[in-house]
Amino acid sequence: MEFAQQLVNGLTLGSLYALIAVGYTVVYGIIQLINFAHGEIFMIGAFGALSTWLVFFDGNTSVWVLPIMIIGAIAASVIVAVLMERVAYRPLRNAPRLAPLITAIGISVFLQELVRLGYNNPLLFISTWNPFNFPSAKQKVPFPQIDVVTGAAFNLGGVTIQRSTIFTIGALIVCAAGLFYFVSRTRTGRAMQAVSQDPDTARLMGINVDRIIVVAFVIGATLAAVAGVAQGLQVTNINFKMGFLAGLKAFTAAVLGGIGNVWGAVLGGLTLGLVESMAVQFIPGTFGGSPWKDVWAFAILILVLVFRPQGLLGAKVVDRA
Amino acid sequence: MSTVDRTEGETPVSSTERMQTRFGSRAALLGIAGGALLLLSGLLSWSFDDRVLGDLSIRFYPAGIQIYAMVVGVVGLVLGLLLLRRPAWLDPGRGLRALGYGSLAFVLAALISIAYQAGGLVNVNEGGWVGLVGAALLLAAGLLSPARHLDVHAWPRLASWQEISIIVVLLAVLLFTTAYTLNIDDAATFGCLLIVILTVAISLLGSGFGGYVGFIGQNNRRPLLLAAFLVAFLFPFTQDGSDANMSIATQILIFAATALGLNIVVGLAGLLDLGYIAFLGTGAYVGAMLSQSAFATIGWKPPFLVVMLLGMMVASIFGLIIGTPTLRVSGDYLAIVTLGFGEIFRLAMFNLDGNNGPELTNGPNGIPAIPDLNFFGFDFGATHTLAGIPLGRFSNYYFLLLVLIAFVILVFTRLNDSRIGRGWVAIREDERAAEAMGVNVFGLKLLAFAVGASLAGLAGTIKAHQDTSVTPDQYIFLESAFLLAAVVLGGMGTVAGVLVGATILKLLPEKARVVNDYRLLIFGLLLVIMMRFRPEGIVPSKRRQLEFHEDDEELVELAQTEHLEAK
Repeated sequence: MEFAQQLVNGLTLGSLYALIAVGYTVVYGIIQLINFAHGEIFMIGAFGALSTWLVFFDGNTSVWVLPIMIIGAIAASVIVAVLMERVAYRPLRNAPRLAPLITAIGISVFLQELVRLGYNNPLLFISTWNPFNFPSAKQKVPFPQIDVVTGAAFNLGGVTIQRSTIFTIGALIVCAAGLFYFVSRTRTGRAMQAVSQDPDTARLMGINVDRIIVVAFVIGATLAAVAGVAQGLQVTNINFKMGFLAGLKAFTAAVLGGIGNVWGAVLGGLTLGLVESMAVQFIPGTFGGSPWKDVWAFAILILVLVFRPQGLLGAKVVDRA
Repeated sequence: MSTVDRTEGETPVSSTERMQTRFGSRAALLGIAGGALLLLSGLLSWSFDDRVLGDLSIRFYPAGIQIYAMVVGVVGLVLGLLLLRRPAWLDPGRGLRALGYGSLAFVLAALISIAYQAGGLVNVNEGGWVGLVGAALLLAAGLLSPARHLDVHAWPRLASWQEISIIVVLLAVLLFTTAYTLNIDDAATFGCLLIVILTVAISLLGSGFGGYVGFIGQNNRRPLLLAAFLVAFLFPFTQDGSDANMSIATQILIFAATALGLNIVVGLAGLLDLGYIAFLGTGAYVGAMLSQSAFATIGWKPPFLVVMLLGMMVASIFGLIIGTPTLRVSGDYLAIVTLGFGEIFRLAMFNLDGNNGPELTNGPNGIPAIPDLNFFGFDFGATHTLAGIPLGRFSNYYFLLLVLIAFVILVFTRLNDSRIGRGWVAIREDERAAEAMGVNVFGLKLLAFAVGASLAGLAGTIKAHQDTSVTPDQYIFLESAFLLAAVVLGGMGTVAGVLVGATILKLLPEKARVVNDYRLLIFGLLLVIMMRFRPEGIVPSKRRQLEFHEDDEELVELAQTEHLEAK
């Protein structure tokens, strides 16, 4: 019983990680860049959904609000991600590898601070104009609870299944299927595959590599935004710091599965989620329990990077300097 | 970039270039006029209201930012006069351009803060407007003077004692400016002063003095180092017993010592470490756990010298552990591995509180009430008076840290110039080639981690006593990012650069309280902008700069010349 319960918890957690991890993997697959700021895109998705709700549906908890919130979340994330690519990453495409990594750290800090300072006061210190009565993002902000997802939990033979769990896992299935269709069946998707294999040859074949890179960022941001909504519904409050740890875990998941491999990211995310929730329950002694679960996640990250850097599903990579 | 699309027969010239050839000869006169106007504006009243930016309403008695305007004016005059003479190794035009932009920004900032604080532009008196015109003239002079190629071989040769006295004067100016800057409490004045300092520095460096000062610095390395340490040593005596600035100074020194350690790992060996703060934390926790504090969790209380050595040892062991995987991962992956280690360290310190693990660190509360150091009866907590000047608690730590910094710099420069250092640089530039040439890649990487970590550990043991408490939330990822930023901003692989970077990053948030809430925002933006426009840092090592600007002929030549001169 305990095991089944932790299985459900682990799958929920894992689905969230997987949704974010896919974004890491898609971007890495195309331009070999660890987009450190991807966790912040996830955070901005959650705040985008919250803003949509506060502006248009304050107090309304009907079912049909949810899809519009998701659209709002996606819009916010995609805009930020595309801007980020255009302003910060594109000029550095041929720079030494250290440069974009440091840029990414800079963007990550910048976006966190922008949300912290600017959420209820978009003009920062010029005036305290707050058009929609947004709450301050300096503390935890309650996330709108939509009835259909936050109603009474199901009980399946002693195992509690929250409705938000079903939403999260469902979102992962829908997104993964959509991504699979996109990558394998559409022209743009096949162009993405080509670019990830060999950008120069792809360019010779008439593929607009810049556009494909933007598409990769858009896909990653979309999935991160969905994850942001799912996280908000599950944990019931969001804050400006939520992106950092989530991003780190998702990166772990992406590496675990084999970075650059979409199915690997899904598998890695689920595995990481399961390991974390099992570790909380079944590791005996003083080093078990939830205070140490992040430590186990990072330990897995390090072990995987050291002993199987290509990940579970990844192909052997010759040079990853 | 008009050279790129130049076609046969005709050479299209941009309008700026045409203006430069037409009016270039008059640029000098414009510069002199601008400088003179700024000098004059210092003697006039800037503001009707006498409560803004200090008292600016009095005429013929310069105070506050009026003096800054006069300093800018003098520099403008000198550059303008130099523009008439045109020595081959100087390009005063470039300096005037920077001075023009900077002084315009300075005057505008002053006018805006007068208008903002006193209520309206009516309160700006004639001095402000004269200053504005002067700044505009300086900018015009800068834009109109034709750009020139600097001839680095034409540096004047002076007698050794003359060169040394130049260094001494420069360092004295530095000491005076620092002491003066630190004593300003008004944020707006501080901002104006900062603009002026940066403007003057950039315009002097940009016009070619920087290269020359570097050149005489190369010729007189030992006197330069000695004088620099003397200046640093004299700094507490300029503070008149005030602990506020000394506290900032000690923080800067600890930060700088740690950043210098990181500079070995990142700057020399090219191994990106995002969890470096954990080593400082290791040292601090070792220092705290073995201290005289009643909350120390280990019963053994050895003398501090032993604690220092232990802190170094434990940190370098951690460094070795973290360094081991570097055999297998590199680049981005190494960054993530070290980040993971850093987080594990913080989480472990957070959890080892007796409930979730063995009792070692008191968990989130950390170890408080660490007593001050006591070396052979010299109490670091007490105020000592030397030559009539009181030196407070932080001054004592400052001197100790100065010794530490000297040691770290010694280690760094010795390593940098040694066979080991060349091995690291070889690894940084091309690991495979280095290995093929017989460099022991794995051993050197491990050594980089161990040496860097031990220096941070050493700094940590002192930090624990200086802060009087150690808590896990001092060692978050952001601190590692700050350290990395200090190294990157200042210039990877150089001592001076890292010191400059560390000072900027620690001093600004402490002094400019207005920007305090926005400091992380600015920090993030700064990293992005820096990587975009000047990835080699403020004080770049020439070799490193070449990696970013491979096609810059002038730079190649400069690097070679300096290399030859140094021999």
